Order: sequence, then structure tokens, then C-alpha cells
Amino acid sequence: MKARHIRTLLIAAAALAAWELIVRSGLVSPIILAAPSDVFLAAKKDGAVFLRAFLITVTEIGVAIVIAWTLGILFGLIVGSSYLVAAATAPVLSSIFAIPLIILYPLLMAWLGVGPLSKVVFGVLAGFFPIALTTIDGVRAVDRGYLTFARSIGATRLVTNTLIVFPLALPAIVAGLRIGTGLVVIGVIVTEMLASLGGLGYVISYHRSLFDTGHVYFGMALALLVALGVNAALTRLDRRIGHWRLRQHAECDS
Amino acid sequence: MPIIEVTGLAKDFRSGGAVVHALRDVTFSVDEGRFVTLVGPSGCGKSTLLAIMAGLTSATRGEARIEGTPITAPLPDKIGMVFQDPTLLPWKSALANVEFPLALRHVDATARRKRCTQLLDLVGLSEFADHYPHELSGGMRQRVAIARGLAQDPRLILMDEPFAALDEQIRTRMGHDLLEIWERTGKTIFFITHSLTEAIYLSDTVLVMSARPGSIIGTLTIDFPRPRDLDIIGSESFGRIRNRIWHLISEPQK
Repeated sequence: MKARHIRTLLIAAAALAAWELIVRSGLVSPIILAAPSDVFLAAKKDGAVFLRAFLITVTEIGVAIVIAWTLGILFGLIVGSSYLVAAATAPVLSSIFAIPLIILYPLLMAWLGVGPLSKVVFGVLAGFFPIALTTIDGVRAVDRGYLTFARSIGATRLVTNTLIVFPLALPAIVAGLRIGTGLVVIGVIVTEMLASLGGLGYVISYHRSLFDTGHVYFGMALALLVALGVNAALTRLDRRIGHWRLRQHAECDS
Repeated sequence: MPIIEVTGLAKDFRSGGAVVHALRDVTFSVDEGRFVTLVGPSGCGKSTLLAIMAGLTSATRGEARIEGTPITAPLPDKIGMVFQDPTLLPWKSALANVEFPLALRHVDATARRKRCTQLLDLVGLSEFADHYPHELSGGMRQRVAIARGLAQDPRLILMDEPFAALDEQIRTRMGHDLLEIWERTGKTIFFITHSLTEAIYLSDTVLVMSARPGSIIGTLTIDFPRPRDLDIIGSESFGRIRNRIWHLISEPQK
């Protein structure tokens, strides 16, 4: 166990050293590839700036995720549980989903300004459609026998939707959350890069224009950290409901 | 005394512009405490009739009454249902599945648990109370569904081909055990099946339905003594009844 950790560390150190050497030797321009020491210096020099940017981005993404999940799931549940509404709405949603939403960003900026609000709204917009679409599909895929059963025991529509349909559709919904949440993260960072006053996207883009490649790399590393954190949270959620997804598979197989 | 009275029942529905007559002038009654089975060719409207009796769909003409009251909506405290698909909730244990209809009605948890433990015992699954549906065999899942159908202590149990998805050996065994449950609880059972053998073996009365539009074309009283032994299936009189039903179903109606 311990030996393996040491080996991993050694490999990482060797890779960093090789990376440093390649840049120092002048083999690759430092504008294209920043040396690890440059990245470290950037962090040391402007750490506070980066921390603020990191917090802004994390907050924007967090707020956008909460709103996108809530709206997407609620909308999907309501639309999916009515056959006619779903049949009319799903094609429209799919077409909107197919549009690269980024073309709407100049409008959002004009309406909401270059501050965090336009980033959050764009993030919500980016995440909403895949979440709503997969929720609709998940709800419609629920075996109709369950609906008959629910009516036979006198369950109201609300009870049926929350206690029977929603949990049955949950595996599909979580698949949508994975796609949608990824798009929220991308949406927020990209719009920060386009026009903003703060956030990781802004810092990366600002330093890129100054050819401060070390700063750019450090910003990228922080953005990666955000994405990894979100992904880890999703994996945990996935695993929590995963055990009864397996159960459902067992039910279908027999 | 009849618990169920069906009089002049007809059901038409539209299918792609054409009117389909699913049921025509269906009239019969079921006495309290009896085991009555409905047989008929596929697509003759058996399930439609059951859905009307359960209050899940309305009749075009005529009516179904339970204890004198017209059935216009599901009556979970009077009518329990068991379907071909057990429709158990995969994230709930066997016991929690049986408790589910009572939990919706806010029945006190202790009373609920006690009653449902007894029901699981009645269907022979007391050792499997904590098992999840995917850990149970097809027959056991259907036993849980039967216990769940009994949970609200209804007078009448409607069963829509509950054993159709099971293999023959388990099916025979389930039929045998269902008779025992029926005898111990004194419920009235209205049972739909494709299997003539199952119908005759289980029932006091077999109702024979014609092909679409479905109507009752024969009512046979089965008076093999109870408790019944599986050996009667091989007897000559059993074969004679079986033939009579078979002729009723297969001969074109004038």
C-alpha cells in the first residue's frame, strides 16, 4: 500500500521535472507551455485574486445547479405525467436543446448585464433542457401498471407522482443530471470568459491576453478542480441510488 | 346475498375513428364470499370489465354495484386488486410494500406493521419481510402483491390474471395456496384467467365470456367439494366441464 503511494509520488515528481526541463531548455515556448514553476509563482503572486475568482465561480455554478435541477425536474415531472402535454412539448424542447445556446448570451448580457446574474441564468439555461428532457422520458417510461395500481389504492395524483413515479424515474433523471450539470459548469465558465468582471473564466481570459501562461494554467487547474468536485458529488449521488437501479434490472430480467 | 351486481354493462371506445364495442350487455352477480372466475378468449374485454368493476374506467351503458352502491371511482377500502405484474416498489422491502396502501391512508405505524406482518405470514412469506423485490422469485413477488391487495381489508379482491407470468408448476402451487388464503380470510374473489384448468380448479362459479364484443355466454357452477385436492384436475367430471367451456368459447356465437 505505502510502496504504491511512494511510487505514484515518484512518477508524478519525475513527470513534473521532465515538464520543467522541457520548458527551461527552450524546446517549447513558455507562452505555449508554462513550466510548473511558473504556475507555482502565479499562485504565489496572485493567490488572493484567484481565490476570489474561484469563490465567485463556485457560487455562480452552485446557484445555477440548484435552480437548473429544481426547474428541470419539476418541469419534467409535470410535463411527463401528462401524455398529451409531453407529446406536444418534448419535440420543442429537443429542438431547443439542439441549438447552441451560447448564441443567446449577447442577449442575456444586454438584459442582465455582465455581472454574475447573466452567468447564473445562462448556466441554468444550459442545464435545464437535458434535465427536463430526460425527466420527461424517465416519467413516460414508468410502467403504466404502476399508475393503475396507484389509482386502485386511491392515491392522489400528487402522491402518485412524488412517491411512485418520481422514484421509478430517478435513474433516468440522474443520467440527465449528469449531462445537465456538466453543461452548467461549462456554461458559467465560458460566459465568464466572454465578458465579465470576475470569476475563473474572467481571470483565465484576462491573463491569456497578457500572455501570462503560468496564470492561465493555474486558473485552468482551479476550473478543473471545480469540475472534478461537481463530478465527485454526482458520482456519490449516482451510487446512492445505484443500488436500487440494480434491483430494477433484476426485476426486468426475471 | 350478492356483493357485486353487474347489469346491462356495455363499453364502447374509439380507436382511430372507429367505434369498438368492447363489452355488450354484461349481466351477472357475485355472492358474498364466493370465488368467481371469468374466462374468455384474448381481447374479449375481460380486463375492461375488471377495470369498470374496480372503478378505474366508466361504462358506456349499464352499471356495476358493490353492496348496492354504484362503482364510479376506485374504492380501496372495499375493493383490493392484484395484477398480472406485481408492480412492487423496488426500493421498498416486502413488508413496506404491503404496508404502502395503509401508509398512504396514514394508518398508525404500529397497527400497520402488525397487520401487514400477519398478511405476509398468511401468504407464507413471514421470513422474507425484509427482502427487496429483486431478492424474491416471481411467485414470491406475486404473493407480496396478494398480501398488499388484502392490506386495506377489502371485502372483494379483483385479480387480473395474477399467475399468467409464472411457470406452470409455480402457478398450480399458487392457485392451491390462494384457495387456502381465500378460505382463511372469507373474502370474495373475482378472478380473470386464460387457463380453463385454473378457472375450474379454483372457482365456485365460472363465467364464460364471448369474443368481442364481450358478453357472458355461460355460467357454470363448479361443485367439487372443498378443500380441493389437485387430483380432481385429472377426474372425468373435471374434463367434462373443461370441454363444455372450451366449446362455449370456441363455437361462433349466433
